[in-house]
Amino acid sequence: MNILGISCFYHDSAVCMLQDGKIIAAASEERFNRQKNSPVFPLNAVNFCIQKANLTIDDLDYIGFYEKPFLKLYRVLLSHLRAYPFSFKNFLDTIPNWLEERLILPLLLKKELGYEGKVLFIKHHLSHAASAFLVSPFEEAAIITADGVGEWGTMSLGVGMGKDIKVFKEMHFPNSLGLLYTAVTTYLGLEALIGEGKIMGLAGYGKPCYLNKFREMVTVKQDGSFMIDQRFFGFNKGSRMYSHRLIKVLGKDRKPQDKIEQRHCDIAASLQKFTEDILIIVANNLYNDSKIDKLCLAGGLFLNCVANSRILENTPFKEVFIQPAAGDSGGALGVASYIYHSILNNNRSYVMQDAYLGPDFSQNQMKRSLLNNGINFKEFNDDSLFRYVAQRLSQNKIIGWFQGRMEFGPRALGNRSILANPANPAMKDLLNQRVKKREPFRPYAPAVLEEKITEFFNAKQFSPFMLLSAEVNKDKKTIIPAVTHIDGSARVQSVSKKINPRLWRLIKEFENITGIPVILNTSFNLNREPIVCAPEEAVSCFKRSQMDCLVLGNYIAEK
Amino acid sequence: MMEHQTICSKCVLPESRPDIFLDQEGVCNICRDYEAIKEDSEKNNSLETEFTKMLKMYKSYGRYDCLVMCSGGKDSTAALYYMKKRYKLNLLAFTFDHGFETEDALENVKNAVDILGVDFLYFKTDYMNEMFAAILKTNSKAIICHLCSIWYMNLTFEIAARYGIPLIIAGWTKGQSKKQSLMSRCGCNMHQPEFSSMAKAAKEFLDTYVKNNPKYKDFPGSMEEVLVMAKKRHKCAVLSPHWFLPFNSDVYVELIEKELKWKFPKLSYPAHTTNCYLNFISVHNSMKYFGYTHYHVEMSKLIREGLLTREEAIKNLEINFNKELLNNITKKLDYTF
Repeated sequence: MNILGISCFYHDSAVCMLQDGKIIAAASEERFNRQKNSPVFPLNAVNFCIQKANLTIDDLDYIGFYEKPFLKLYRVLLSHLRAYPFSFKNFLDTIPNWLEERLILPLLLKKELGYEGKVLFIKHHLSHAASAFLVSPFEEAAIITADGVGEWGTMSLGVGMGKDIKVFKEMHFPNSLGLLYTAVTTYLGLEALIGEGKIMGLAGYGKPCYLNKFREMVTVKQDGSFMIDQRFFGFNKGSRMYSHRLIKVLGKDRKPQDKIEQRHCDIAASLQKFTEDILIIVANNLYNDSKIDKLCLAGGLFLNCVANSRILENTPFKEVFIQPAAGDSGGALGVASYIYHSILNNNRSYVMQDAYLGPDFSQNQMKRSLLNNGINFKEFNDDSLFRYVAQRLSQNKIIGWFQGRMEFGPRALGNRSILANPANPAMKDLLNQRVKKREPFRPYAPAVLEEKITEFFNAKQFSPFMLLSAEVNKDKKTIIPAVTHIDGSARVQSVSKKINPRLWRLIKEFENITGIPVILNTSFNLNREPIVCAPEEAVSCFKRSQMDCLVLGNYIAEK
Repeated sequence: MMEHQTICSKCVLPESRPDIFLDQEGVCNICRDYEAIKEDSEKNNSLETEFTKMLKMYKSYGRYDCLVMCSGGKDSTAALYYMKKRYKLNLLAFTFDHGFETEDALENVKNAVDILGVDFLYFKTDYMNEMFAAILKTNSKAIICHLCSIWYMNLTFEIAARYGIPLIIAGWTKGQSKKQSLMSRCGCNMHQPEFSSMAKAAKEFLDTYVKNNPKYKDFPGSMEEVLVMAKKRHKCAVLSPHWFLPFNSDVYVELIEKELKWKFPKLSYPAHTTNCYLNFISVHNSMKYFGYTHYHVEMSKLIREGLLTREEAIKNLEINFNKELLNNITKKLDYTF
């Protein structure tokens, strides 16, 4: 049974290939067309996924789409109408796209892919719920999904049992935590869809002293449901997502070029805390209703690793599962899984243990990329490779690390990563200055040997997808300063020997040299570019930055 | 041989004015032109789904879905494999032998069609021998392979028309031909600057010797003529799966070795190919008159596409055959070097 899941047209277009319930391949279109957060129909990703499964388009039994276009259009039209005349420009911008492609998806699939088979659509938040639960290790679990907005839904609560998912509560547009977070992100001068993660970092520098202001704007009920006072926001009105009234309450909005002041950090901290508090109330209520101590989370809001950890710490839930593509790209995985298990009634046997579902390249292809770009390199055997790279890391060199299959989801988890020494207090600035060009307030993440996680972090569970944060243990904060955020936390990736033996071995070698079983791991890309996919892109990134060393498979190139 | 020439620092083409010239940085005009159009290259249009859509567009209502030109080389054998196994089409395989095909290549074809269980047409003729001999004896600069390909394509179109087959599948790689110049649309790569002088030499030979020889009164005057005639005779497209698939030859050689008992021949030029014996003569003359061969053109394209390194190409293109071999081959043509 071959099922292709597709999510596209809003942001982060992606495709997932499910064969007999197992994910064979999954990837975002941005990695192929090199347009960050690309919303377009994922033609390249479709081709990659079916080829990885050794299929052609005619071998597919179903294509699943991650939301219901007619339902969504209904919401879009209605909200345009409600906001008229302020929404007129948005209306003119968006409606033609709907009529040209989104509403007529089966026709589009025929035009773009030559596919004439069965097409199924499921609701946006059900796709998220399925993406979280159906590939989780849990036989039963409570499920929360939350993001900007799907068709109408902005948050859903449900329970998964076996192969069934029951959603019993939903919050609807315009009451959306995701849109609230994005609106305030844009108020703080950062870009929607990219800036939310930065706000989470900025929050560490502030105090939640604006919490009461948020409480004035958003009425929260006992069960965690909430109502956003729309007088402060304009989710569908025009060029910005907030109104003058919000500026009156929080002060002047920040322009992208403006300096970041303490006030901005405090607003970010307040927004973060407000969001966490609501999610905790919601999760506690869900636990009381379900009495299940396993929790699955999905939707763009749960890319917020700080909030995820706060939920785990402040609710009776004992274990949480968040798949690596928790945002809309994961919808492709959700719809495919839902069709296979819940609609076609097949039992679950697959657990998503890793995110390495993208393209891989042969040693020959890597060698050709280096040779064609005139880059000198040396070939190493495995033993000497790990030892040598670990040595270079300990010497504070910045390493581009390209191995195996590319990750699915926004996090680089050690196959398309830039690695560095976490023990060097200057490393964050060095990395920012020489390669990443990121805002100074954003932290870098640690990758730690799974078995050593509690030695360094106060972690409640493993975090293989870098979607949980943890307090760095007091005695270790000075040992790994480059990955310890200002508030003492870190966005941890736990590395298992079984799941990623090459990254594990590298960290182990680094530990042998330095005594520290942790390395700094950030995504292999330059500012505003998608993470590299092919060796050519890794080489280009290496050439255009001041990275010291590029490791492609077993080849090492150095500057 | 290549070491004595000044070749482009990016690909393997030598300077050959007026068609190919190097700039101050030692880069040829073909590479420079490629850099200029690289940005809007046909990446998106060369996806496999585009190919499968075309297969549907040229769907057959007759006995065969497509006619596969199979020489027994790695590219055409892989094309045969993909059409049968990957796209599950009903095919007719066709091999043309001018009498100089190697035993190894024919063995490869036989194994492939037997294992795949496809219908097979083998056409052997010495019809062109006189023409080949004339090229050598008159010191014509015409490249044997170009004349041969004209006849081979003509025959292929005739067979497609005979069986009402709407699609011809060739094993052309990304380096050999471009999708835009689909042969059915009356375009072929002979107009590329790399082939300009060679095409002139072929035309001159066809216009002088071939046209005036009653034996060859039916021989087309050019590849364009083949295509025009084919279009009039029977609507038929020519495609290669290799233009659309991301797998390079490393991948499909491993596949056909395993699945179709395919083997590299003991003797062939360039290295890692399966070309006929006459190819050695063609290469010898091409190097003598132009300083490069169509293999240099093909491999240069593959280098630009990132599918081959310059070092690999230089190694593959090394001339490793001698006069004795050439003379053994041309015995049949009553010619000695």
